[in-house]
Amino acid sequence: MSLLFRQRSSGASQVKISGFRRFVMFFVHNAQQCIASLGELARYPLASLMTMAVLGLSLTLPATLYVVVKNTEKVGGDWDQAAEMTLFLRNGLSQQEIATFTKRLNLSDDIESVRWIPKDEALAEFREGSGFGDALDALPENPLPDVLVVVPAAERRSAQAAQALLLELQKEREVAEARLDLTWLERLQALLNLVRDGFLALAILLCLSVVLIVGNTIRLNINSKRDEIIVMKLVGATNSYIQRPFLYTGVWYGVIGGVIAWFATAVLIWWIQDAVVGISELYDSQFSLEGLSVSEMGILWLLAILFGLFGSYLAVRKHVSSIEPQ
Amino acid sequence: MIKFEQVSKTYPGGFQALNQVSFHVEPGEMAFLTGHSGAGKSTLLKLIGMMERPTAGRVLINGHDLRRVTAKQIPYVRRDIGMIFQDHRLLMDKTVLDNVALPLLIEGYSMQEARKRVQASLEKVGLGDKLKHYPMMLSGGEQQRVGIARAVVNKPPLLLADEPTGNLDPKLSAEIIKLFEDFNRVGVSVLIATHDLGLIARLRYRTLSLRDGRMINDGLQEA
Repeated sequence: MSLLFRQRSSGASQVKISGFRRFVMFFVHNAQQCIASLGELARYPLASLMTMAVLGLSLTLPATLYVVVKNTEKVGGDWDQAAEMTLFLRNGLSQQEIATFTKRLNLSDDIESVRWIPKDEALAEFREGSGFGDALDALPENPLPDVLVVVPAAERRSAQAAQALLLELQKEREVAEARLDLTWLERLQALLNLVRDGFLALAILLCLSVVLIVGNTIRLNINSKRDEIIVMKLVGATNSYIQRPFLYTGVWYGVIGGVIAWFATAVLIWWIQDAVVGISELYDSQFSLEGLSVSEMGILWLLAILFGLFGSYLAVRKHVSSIEPQ
Repeated sequence: MIKFEQVSKTYPGGFQALNQVSFHVEPGEMAFLTGHSGAGKSTLLKLIGMMERPTAGRVLINGHDLRRVTAKQIPYVRRDIGMIFQDHRLLMDKTVLDNVALPLLIEGYSMQEARKRVQASLEKVGLGDKLKHYPMMLSGGEQQRVGIARAVVNKPPLLLADEPTGNLDPKLSAEIIKLFEDFNRVGVSVLIATHDLGLIARLRYRTLSLRDGRMINDGLQEA
């Protein structure tokens, strides 16, 4: 539409293009500019690939850290499952009373299983394990209490729920003291939180650097095309028309950088896999690192593209409008 | 078509390029703008092409006050004005076809639609067979004509030319001027800035003269 000359039809309206066709053409033009900016990148393959590699490798570290945290949490979850409570029973209970108490606990919905360790058994075990056999013989009677090892039901196994259950059990008449070895669990959880928060901060910093790197590269691109931009502005190009190819360039950086990130993450995980298996063998457990799932790869890709787009958006918004014909 | 009302332009730093300039170029008129370098010719054209804004006074094109045009609307104003430059401002890494098609592509034409008009426009300036050439392969006069083809390809009602014959010998200059006369004949308003007084003397067009930022002769009354 002509701004100054009302009677003058201009551009697409002059060649009588229907609204629908113009709508379609908008996407066709975008697709053309999209392909054109890919061609532009292909003209300088090394420079383009280097930017893409920077983007991809910068995302590799957060992605790998994410995989590590994910796997650690899985392990942490397994350990959580193993939470057991130890009930030390009052002295002077008869075998009958203990058996009844055990049965009563077994019937509770909150408890999965109860194992009774009679004090004589515990003493025998202690005698063998500790090497204090002679000293124990000197004692007039068995100093150890009867012990019940309680495994809570699945839904009572989180640190908080287990704590609540522990308080309930503590109130039982037969129980002298109940202990839940939560400290190590809490410590593990705190450690996991620390690792996760640290990794998150690191990931945010790296993502920020990705945006800045893409922004800077696009800025250099814009400056190297300064003359072309001036000519385009002189013949009536809007900022958004000039910006579009640069935005697509940013998107392409993300598309290919994301794929680089996939491969680099896979290589990195393969690299640390051996070490992880080594550690898990030391702990007598079967464990293998679980890599990125398909949906996680999709998210990684999407993030790479978004960062590429955002970086180039920052650059074009500032620099395309600042280049004006003199 | 182009109307200046008491227009002044002072650049940051205090240099006054234009001082209370008033004139009116009618629709369909062809006029020359002369003056020594530094007299304000380029500034005057920049005010019309909205590369600069006046410090005082107002510029009207086809009755529209350019003060009311926002920065976002400037591209649309430029689409109505064909601008030709002394250094022709072609994209050296693009073919003649791509260069001339640029204004059309910007307006939303597809390349197929643009091609026909590019061809017609290039034929008008006598370069119908140079579509696939790069500007570097053309002579100075041919490059200038590519610049003219680009300026007229979307049939603007107004043509501005800043020293279009600056680097050309008299014979080529005359050819270029003849092109402008052709466009003027079909109703396009043309304003040509030049310091080539010999060129103007041979032609009988209205001549606006600037000196030190003042309009000393608007060509309507004999000075």
